[in-house]
Amino acid sequence: MAQRKVVPTGAKILAVVMVPMVAALNYVGGVLVELTKAPIWGDTWATILGTLISGFWVGAVGGFLYNIIMALTVWGLPAWVWGTANVLIAIITWFFIKMGWTDLKKPITIVMAVIFYGLLYPIYTTGLSIALFGGGPLWKPIPAAIYAATLASTGNFWLANYVQAISTEIPDKVISFVIALIIASRVPRRFVLGMRREEEVVAGGS
Amino acid sequence: MSTLGSRLLRTTIIGKDTPIHKLDPRTKFLYFFWISLLGYIFYDFVLTFIFLVVNLLLAVVGKVVRRILLTILVIIVPWIAIAAPILSLPLGFPWNETIIYRINLFGMELPVYQEGLGWAITWPLRIAVTISAALLFMLTTKLGEIIALFFKLRLPFRALYMIAAALQFIPLLADEVGTIYQAQLSRGLKTKASIVRRVFNFLALGIPLTLSAISKVQIRAIALESRGFSAPVEKTLMYELRFKSVDYVFFAAIIFFTGVLAYIYITMGYSPIVRLRYLFG
Repeated sequence: MAQRKVVPTGAKILAVVMVPMVAALNYVGGVLVELTKAPIWGDTWATILGTLISGFWVGAVGGFLYNIIMALTVWGLPAWVWGTANVLIAIITWFFIKMGWTDLKKPITIVMAVIFYGLLYPIYTTGLSIALFGGGPLWKPIPAAIYAATLASTGNFWLANYVQAISTEIPDKVISFVIALIIASRVPRRFVLGMRREEEVVAGGS
Repeated sequence: MSTLGSRLLRTTIIGKDTPIHKLDPRTKFLYFFWISLLGYIFYDFVLTFIFLVVNLLLAVVGKVVRRILLTILVIIVPWIAIAAPILSLPLGFPWNETIIYRINLFGMELPVYQEGLGWAITWPLRIAVTISAALLFMLTTKLGEIIALFFKLRLPFRALYMIAAALQFIPLLADEVGTIYQAQLSRGLKTKASIVRRVFNFLALGIPLTLSAISKVQIRAIALESRGFSAPVEKTLMYELRFKSVDYVFFAAIIFFTGVLAYIYITMGYSPIVRLRYLFG
């Protein structure tokens, strides 16, 4: 008998609750960074984690929701567009899952993380940053110094913004990805929503 | 920024009884949207500064000015301080043309350009306007009122729940981080460590936090189902929104100033006071 393609209600409700949890974990990432002084921003690791353990939609919507809440409460209205950057993070993570680049024992995982999160993703964020926030130096000394050096040596405003972006994104996103992979590997199998769905589909179909 | 955001949301609303608190959340949301948009329509740092001052005056009335001012000082002042020298001095900002001043730095006479300086002040001030408007809205509006607002804006019920739940989870998880951190300290977690060690420290807090969060998700899902979350019935709200006379006064002011600013824009352009050239236009 062919297996029916159904998504059980239990999994749907879990996804509805998991989405705000991803958004809240992204938020609390800031508190973790504050306590540990880890070299990351701490606001995308939960998007990656959510995608890894609960699927693309939970990660993407959770990441987007985080930015919507930030825009409505702290960062100001234009900041909602960063939600699309979080969706892009979820897309990249989903692509990594599909390609099998989620095993930290394989060097290709880190190489691809540097390329996708560190070099390609900042092309999009640089465009957003210039269009909505004017581009320009960040208010952190090291990225600002990198920005000033690139601008002074090339005179290229776009390139200076891009180089500044990769100087922060390579460490931030790659470390966030590694952190999310390690945490996802510690999550008990029964809590992984994707697996739960597959098991429930099989049970429903048999 | 994320750290600052977390700190701010952990405190949530400042419960006071002021005219700003009494405003309908729809009025405050309209104002938040309106002033943020104005900040982007004009490219004039004097006018943008006036918008910021208006936000701060409303924050004084709402008795939340200290929190907003602190946030602006932490984010905007360092931004201007870093951006102004990099962009206004001859360091490669490609739109620099008009010299407005010359400064003597280490025996060298350097020109200060209007285009770079205008950029370095206007953009951070624009963000200051949007941040202060957002904080004014958040710090003077209860969570229930925010949910009622989105309900009135016809947001799907599941999306409404997600927003409300996320705002509830943040302080819960932040408190939990504190407990986990204390537990890990008692197990010998070293806070002064190398960069690699700090990443491991993040994991030492992040793993128990995630497992606890996922456990909460399971319990919440069961609770929601037991309360008929998915039931196909009409949903109701705890807060009933109603416009008051103070809201109509606010609307009238917004309409009046929209007219005035539209007139200024049509007759004098996007930079009516400083006369800046728009760089990306």
